[in-house]
Amino acid sequence: MPRKVAIVSVAQIGGADSKENFYDQAYRVVKEALDKAGISREKVGCVVTAASDIFHGGISCANAYHWDPAGAVLRNGSRQDAESLFALVYGAMRIMSGHYDTALVVGLCKGSENPENDTCTLMFSDPFYFRPLGLNETMAAALQMRLFMDHYGITREQCAKVAVKNLRNALGNPYAHRKGIYSAEEILASRPVVEPLTELECAPKSEGMAALVLASEEMARKLTDRPVWIEGFGTSLDAYWIGDRDLLQGQLTNAAKRAYEMAGITAPSEQIHLAEITEPYAFQELLWYEQLGFCGPGQGGKLIDQGVTEKGGLLPVNPSGGTLAWNPYVSRGLHRAIEAFLQIREEAGERQVHREVKTALVHGTHGFAGQCHTVVILGS
Amino acid sequence: MARAVAVVGVGQTHHGRRMDVSYPDLVREAVVRVFEDTGLSPKDVDGVVSGTMPSMMEGVALTHLYFAEAMQAVGKPILKTETCGSTGVSIAHTAFYWVASGMAEVVLAVGHEKMYEGDSQATMTTVLDPFYQRYFLAGAPGVFSMQSQLWATRYKIPQDKIRDAAAFISVTHHQSAFDNPYAHIKMKVTMEDVKNSRIIVYPIRLLDVCPNSDGACAVIFASEKVAKRLGRKVAWVKGVGYRGDEQFFGDSDKVVWQSAIEAAKQAYDQAGIKDPLKELDVAEVYNPFTYQEMIFYECFGFCEFGKAPDLVLRGIFSREGELPVCPSGGVLCTNPIGATGLIRVAEAAMQVTGRAGEHQVPGAKLALAHAMGGIDQFNGVMILGSEL
Repeated sequence: MPRKVAIVSVAQIGGADSKENFYDQAYRVVKEALDKAGISREKVGCVVTAASDIFHGGISCANAYHWDPAGAVLRNGSRQDAESLFALVYGAMRIMSGHYDTALVVGLCKGSENPENDTCTLMFSDPFYFRPLGLNETMAAALQMRLFMDHYGITREQCAKVAVKNLRNALGNPYAHRKGIYSAEEILASRPVVEPLTELECAPKSEGMAALVLASEEMARKLTDRPVWIEGFGTSLDAYWIGDRDLLQGQLTNAAKRAYEMAGITAPSEQIHLAEITEPYAFQELLWYEQLGFCGPGQGGKLIDQGVTEKGGLLPVNPSGGTLAWNPYVSRGLHRAIEAFLQIREEAGERQVHREVKTALVHGTHGFAGQCHTVVILGS
Repeated sequence: MARAVAVVGVGQTHHGRRMDVSYPDLVREAVVRVFEDTGLSPKDVDGVVSGTMPSMMEGVALTHLYFAEAMQAVGKPILKTETCGSTGVSIAHTAFYWVASGMAEVVLAVGHEKMYEGDSQATMTTVLDPFYQRYFLAGAPGVFSMQSQLWATRYKIPQDKIRDAAAFISVTHHQSAFDNPYAHIKMKVTMEDVKNSRIIVYPIRLLDVCPNSDGACAVIFASEKVAKRLGRKVAWVKGVGYRGDEQFFGDSDKVVWQSAIEAAKQAYDQAGIKDPLKELDVAEVYNPFTYQEMIFYECFGFCEFGKAPDLVLRGIFSREGELPVCPSGGVLCTNPIGATGLIRVAEAAMQVTGRAGEHQVPGAKLALAHAMGGIDQFNGVMILGSEL
């Protein structure tokens, strides 16, 4: 039986930009997370960071640059690329292995010093076939959205409702920088980006730094009265060429299945009380509902129509405002985990949902049309 | 008690200037070979760890996305580990902890780099911070040159002696590469050739420096249960260690180099190694520069500080010596960076399982694998042994 692992403390910062430099921001969140856990960096077993070179303001080998403020100097450690929830999973597995009792997990993304999101995502394209076409994440998402609407009869209004919900939820989130009360018509009337996607249906570019202290069961009970347990996790990678994939039946199903099995979840829409999912494009939230098993195939539009995923609904999704409101590309997965942690501990302030949250789902994705997914289940 | 983990098989590409294959096909070549070596198939794999140098090296970001098919990773759990030059050993560490955690029985680790597609020294320069250090620490040789001079000065080692010892290392490794079917640079080199080769950054000359290589390496890590079921000799992971120093080059000592010392110590403590020179049978040290290799000998406790050149010239680290280092020809002859650390792990595993062929160290039972990265900043170590 693997060891249980808990999150014992969290810290984060966000926004669109700031006058603080990278080092000061990173230092601040790491110090805050360590102080909240009451543990010094010298006592932390290992450090796992997450950052991407191409998003990193012109610096290669992100870990070389951020090792100092991440509190990792002369500590055992490693770095995950692309998806910060990879770092959470890897940190948890290091503790599960019995080699460490604690792990500091840090995600770093200073979006204000980075190029536009799609300048970066164009670099995911293979240089010979895709890149000359200009295929980037938004273009791939637009193809996926068109297929989604055509195949299931999902309407543009239903997709826009995700942005309506999330940008309204974001009003309570001090880290979110795109927020407000919009109607579906206003969302659809915002600037066209790649048909049929409009500007407010596409996530912005943001800053975000996140730090979490993980601990084994024994250590967690020493460090906090209210540990939040990592009950399950799963990742899955899809084929690269988008023409080779069924864009409506992606690997999120597999990633979720792995996390559900580990957490003993058989009826996700009943056993999960809150979800923080990564929806860089509004319609994707509806598609992810289906692949997470919150509803049947093609039923995502109905779920939003019924208000189930509203902040006051039975299964609130993205009460933080999600990625549409605040999108530090690499660290965004860890911010989802932090929000779920706060909701479970009833520390989410204005964003606190009305229902009791014992079990929460956290999701991260990157790559064209959701090529890679990570799902983590947190519980009280 | 933590779960035991073994390296059950390895696959390498023929490293070199591989204009005959695309980048994904290069990866595929290594992955196909690890399945041939182990008799396992992709359906046996519970997870895949991918890693490379930064995106700028070949102009493709998040390469695990691009190599999904080549790594046989479609539908598999995935992690993407990158720690600069130490990536290869960090990939191995990730696979090790994954199996040790009980979350997988079999993990495929894949490291890769196609350096002829890009400009490696331009990329290395961007590892430095853009404001203070990038302008004067261009590329890797500048950093290693300063480090070697600091070392020679600190211990008052005459320039002639470090020159001779470094040339001796170059000759030895270039000779060994002839016995490694996968090595990139295979050329006969004499002491005079090294000393007369073109200067890169004093005291480093062309034959003191590794090449750019295209290459990939795949290694399968497995639990004790699977390892025993395979019914073949496997290499057990006896210890892992990793440390990183500060980013700014002047902030930490690169001679009595704490990240190297502590990474090795962590791994030795786990493996119960007290006298590495005596107990280790072979070491695959990450040696892109001849001079730096000697600093690693000292930091890893193979000899006292300042004494490595004497031991090198006495042949202690040669193929027939007390502790053969890099019988594969090492990084000096083959350096596809994202794969390089994993190749060290693969070579160490081949040695302790008696499968190293022409460059086998007879009777090797305990081996060290190492990789270094960043601005002389990161060191990762893995100890592999023939016995559980």
